Parts: sequence; structure tokens; C-alpha cells
Amino acid sequence: MSARELLAEHRPSILVTTLATTFGVALVGATRVLDQTLRADPVAGDSATVGQMLGVVAVVVIGIALYVGAVVTANTFATIVAGRTSTIALMRLLGSSSRQQRRAVAGEGLVVGLVGAALGAVLGSVLVVVEVAVLVGRGTLPDLPYSVVSATTLAPAVVVVATTLAAAWVGSRKVLAVTPLQAIGTAQESPAHEAPRRVLRTVVSAALVVAGGALLAAGVVTGLADATGVVVAFLGGVVSFTGVVVGAHLVMPLALRGVGRLAGGGAVARLAAENAVRHPERSTRATVGIVIGVTLVSTLAVALGTLRAFIESMTAADPEYFAELDALFSTTLLVVTALVGFSALIAAVGLVNDVSLSVLQRRRELGLLRTLGATARQVRLMVLLEAAQMTVAAVLLGLLLGVVYGWAGAQSLLGSAAGELVVPQVPVGLVVALVVAAAALALVSSAVPARRATSVPPVVATAVA
Amino acid sequence: MTHPTAARPAQPARDSSAPSAPAGGAAPVARLADVSKTYGRGDGRVEALRGVSLELRAGEFTAVMGPSGSGKSTLMHLAAGLDTATSGQVLLGDTDITHLDDTALTLLRRRRVGFVFQAFNLVPTLDVTGNVELPFRLDGRRPDADERAWIDRLVETLGLGQRLGHRPHQLSGGQQQRVAIVRALATRPDLVFADEPTGNLDSRTGRAVLAVLAAASREHGQSIAMVTHDPVAASYADRVVFLADGRVVHEVGRSTPAEVSAVMLELEAAA
Repeated sequence: MSARELLAEHRPSILVTTLATTFGVALVGATRVLDQTLRADPVAGDSATVGQMLGVVAVVVIGIALYVGAVVTANTFATIVAGRTSTIALMRLLGSSSRQQRRAVAGEGLVVGLVGAALGAVLGSVLVVVEVAVLVGRGTLPDLPYSVVSATTLAPAVVVVATTLAAAWVGSRKVLAVTPLQAIGTAQESPAHEAPRRVLRTVVSAALVVAGGALLAAGVVTGLADATGVVVAFLGGVVSFTGVVVGAHLVMPLALRGVGRLAGGGAVARLAAENAVRHPERSTRATVGIVIGVTLVSTLAVALGTLRAFIESMTAADPEYFAELDALFSTTLLVVTALVGFSALIAAVGLVNDVSLSVLQRRRELGLLRTLGATARQVRLMVLLEAAQMTVAAVLLGLLLGVVYGWAGAQSLLGSAAGELVVPQVPVGLVVALVVAAAALALVSSAVPARRATSVPPVVATAVA
Repeated sequence: MTHPTAARPAQPARDSSAPSAPAGGAAPVARLADVSKTYGRGDGRVEALRGVSLELRAGEFTAVMGPSGSGKSTLMHLAAGLDTATSGQVLLGDTDITHLDDTALTLLRRRRVGFVFQAFNLVPTLDVTGNVELPFRLDGRRPDADERAWIDRLVETLGLGQRLGHRPHQLSGGQQQRVAIVRALATRPDLVFADEPTGNLDSRTGRAVLAVLAAASREHGQSIAMVTHDPVAASYADRVVFLADGRVVHEVGRSTPAEVSAVMLELEAAA
């Protein structure tokens, strides 16, 4: 394989690692700048609390971005390995051990991680330096001798290298299953349900969801008497959502199947629905990042929306106070959406890549469909529906979880004050934004693959091997 | 894997409800007139077909034989609307398909041509029923009562009744090939195009598949064109056309494998 082909295969992973590192380095840098500003401030300077809180938020948000990035990279590597099966089989036939083959793939992961981390570290640092210069120039920030780049700022880069290597290692597991025999003859696509059973993971996931759900309920009940219920509910939310993410291999295929049925029973819709769940593990990894992003943003939006409605009813006599609070809510939501949105962006890259690679690896089947009478339009529609199905399933699930969590948060906080159950407020803006984002993602992720799919000539189907 | 018509000559019961084969073969179901096909340009230029004229007669089972690179696959691709000729004219029935656009060719394949390939005939995500009905579904409809009955008969005849809910990976190679045959015959196409349909099968299973194709032609007047390099496979056909270097060089009627082999060896020696 030439260096160019290798680069083409790894371009999405390099993009993901670069994005994650840029985000991490920039956020840590920005946090440091804010911290330095606060320290220089005569009022806030004495208290380290604000700085610490900023640090915690940064670590959590970066952690999410890195996790999503690692999942995407693992998926990309697993897909690449699937596409290389015949080459790996040939190497095995010629005497290479499966461990050697896997190490080679993991080595590519290390290189990808190093390149992405280096690019991201530079980009992220430049971003902060430029932004600080602009803000100081505008007078928004005081003119201090900021130190932007330090060992701490570069920590995300180091972590990205490690997580990328780990992701490549996880993603390359399938190399071990390739047999030398697969180099000979026409290997058939293995059945979709050969995914490992993952008993432990399922048990852990179920335990987390049940325990987290119980805590969530306890938080809501406690909240009716005392606002500290929100702490219990928050804990329940974190625990149960972790359970959902751990058990995504069960949850996502279910969601995908459900959404697949919505598309109807036509030939194209049916093919698309089957394709989206054909590799359950792959589809799960391609969508879980979007679920995480949408859940977090929706939770906050619904919680703030519900809180806002409650406060509006309480402060009817003082509209000025409410307007002030409203602005604060909007800003908070915007900042958090931007921060979490970055993870969603990384997840989106993963989805684009997944749809793209899965079309590349299905050339033969696409040729068969064209031969049997599927028009170019039908093939294009099929790819679009596949992408749409994954996007819609992820966004709907995220929104659903977000409404539950957001309501539980608001309820446990307000229950004692309201003395009754509050109605969850789902902001129209959130729904509109999600619909637009989902449509855009489905269109973007399927545009290139759909074109590629329709360019497959029908005669590809008749080719031997 | 067993099949009632596994041994040759196969003599399944004659069916009265199906259209009977026209005696001797009358109107052409497909016609190629002075067709040429070139791939690439400059030094990489390959002339796959050089002015081929050939008529495939309705109701006939025609085998197209020739060594690798003789152009037999290209010939079939053109006749089946899978590829377009560089020059010359290709007719399917009364339709001149030479200059049809992609969509028109697609609809033509969907409604008027059936396909059986050497391997990878079936869509892996669809079960047997889904694969058989795919050409109908792509047309935005389901088989009507008449077509339903025809499919049921084919399924039963080919012993697939117990496999309708199975996915391709749950079927043996022979079973997959028979599903492909049911699908190819289901729409009662003008022409069934079989490209090395036994290439991936053991000889016993392969003979069963050939017997099914021969029976479809004999009993139901199905026109079939089969590309093969296997003299045994060609011996199931009513007519064998030989290709070499992109030209039709010889033609014989129904022949034994030995006779077909003799012609092939002669052609090899002349080359």
C-alpha cells in the first residue's frame, strides 16, 4: 500500500485527533488565561474557587471530546481492517502472524495519533494566542504577560496520542479473526450477528441504568421536600447515562431498528434499514458520540427552559429581573452548547466516515443492485436514508434522554418551591436546531458516498472474486 | 444437496399452463449487429469485441463459449444492457438499446432481463423472499396473484420452500444459485443471462443447476444465454456459439461435452 493510499485511509482519523487536540489545547489554554485574569483581578483574586471550577469544567468537556474521538477512531480502524481482510489474509498465508499484523495496524494508530496531536497542539496554541491578542486589543481582557503554552496546555496532546493508540488497538481486534484461507476463494460476508456477546458489559450497563434510574427517582422525590434533591438527581443522571453509553451496543441497534421502520416498507427503505443495522457495532460507534452530545445539550436546554418558565411565573411582578436572568440562561446554554457541540462535531466526522467507508466496501453489492434494476436515484436515496436513519435515531434518543434528565434536574431543584410536579419545557429553539443539524448531517454524510455509490457500474457485480 | 433433476438428461413433467417453447426458435430475442467494444486508449487499448453479429433466438438456451479474454463476458454485458457498445447496434426484442440512457437501461434490466452470476448473486441483508421479489419491489410493487403463483411453483420445484426466511449466508452455494435462478425467472424476462452459473459449485450441484436452466427453457420457453468455459455446462444448451479474439468463430447445435471440447481444442490449436 502506497503512502498516499495510507494517508487517504487515515485522513478521517487524523482529522478527528487534530480536532480533539486543538479543542483540548485551546480550552486548557483559555482556562489558564481566564485563571490568570481572575488572579490579577483585585476582587476575585483571593479566591481560587472560580479557577478550580473552570478547570473542572474544562477537564470534563475535554474528557467527553477525547472519549468521542477515541470511539470514532476505534470504529474507523475496525472498518479499515474489515476492508483490508484479503490483504491481511494474504500476509497470513505468506507466514505473518496475526499478532504481527495487529501490531502493524496499531503502529499506524500511533503515527496517526502523533501527527494529529502535533497538528492540534500547534493549532490550539495559535488559536489561544490570537484570541488573547484580539481580546486584549479590544480591551476585553487586561493586558497581562499571559503564559499560554505550558506543560498543562500540552497535556491533551499527550492524552490524545495515548487514546488514539488505544483506540487503534481496540479497533484492530478483528485482525486476529482473519484466517489465511480468506486469501483464497471468494469469502462471503460473515453474518452480521457474529458480534461478541459482551455479557459483562451488558450486566454493568444494566446495573448502572437501574441504579442511576433509582437515584434519579430518589432525587425527584427528595426534591419535593428539599432542593438538595438535585444533587442526588445529578448523580443519578451521570450514573444512568454512563450505563446507556456502556450499553450502547444494545440500545443503538434497537433505536436504529425502530427508526428504520418509520421509513416504510419500500424496497429502497427496506434495504437502507437493513444496511444501517448490518454491522451493529459499527453503527453503534458511529452514532453514540452524537447521542452523547445531543443528550448533554438537551438536558441543559430542557432544565434551563423549565427553570426559566418557573421563574417567569414567580417573577411576574419584576420583568426586569427576569430579563437579566433570561440573558444569563441564554449565555450559559450557548457556551455549553458550543463546548459540547465540539464533541458532536467529532462524532459527525465519525458518521461521515462510517457511511463513506461502508459504501466503498459494498461496491460489489451496489453493482448487483444496479444490475437487478435499481436506478442511480434509488441507490442514492438508499445511501441518504441510511445516513438519515443513523442521524435521526441518535438525535431522537439524545433528545428523549435529555428531556427526561432535564426535567428530573429541574423538578428536583424546584419541587420543594413549586410544591408540585413541574411540566418539562422543551425549548422550540432546541428542537429546531436539532432538526436542522440532523438534516444537515444526514445530507453531508451521504453526499459524497451517494455520488460514489451511483458511479459503481453494474458490471462490477459480475466480476469473479 | 439433492435434486430430482440432478442427472442428465433431465425429464421433469411437462407443464401445460406455461407458454410452450416455439418450435425450432423463431424471432430473435436479442440481436447484435456488427458490435464492437474497445476499452482504454493508446497502449492500453483493448479490443474486446470486433464486429460481432449474433442472434439469440426466442425460447432457446444458448451457450457462449471461448477461452479467457475471447470477449464472451463483454458480449453478454452488451446484450443484457449492462454496458454500452463502442459501435454497432444491440436490440433486445424490438428495443434498440444501443443508445438508451442509464435509467432506461436500468428499467430494461429490471423488467426484461434476468441474471444469474457465478457468485455473489444475492443481497446479503435480504432473505430468500426479499431477494426473489427484489426486481418487483424496485419497481414499487409486489408480485400480483399470477406472478405469486409462478414464484411459488419455482420455489417448490427448486426445493427452496423451507428456506424462504433464510439469509444468503445460511444457504449452501447450490441453494444460493437456485435462489438466483428463481429470481431470474420470476419476472418472466425476455432473456435470462447466466455468467458461469456453475463456476463456484461442485460438479454434482452444478449439473443440478444446469438441468434447472435447461428445463426452464424447454418447458417454459425461457430464452437463456449462458457464458461458460465448461464443455459440460455448454452441453446442456440447444446451441453453442464459440468466440475467439472478439469474434464469433464457430457455432454448433446441441452437442456432447466431448464434441464441445473438440471444437475448443481446435480453436486453441488454431490460435
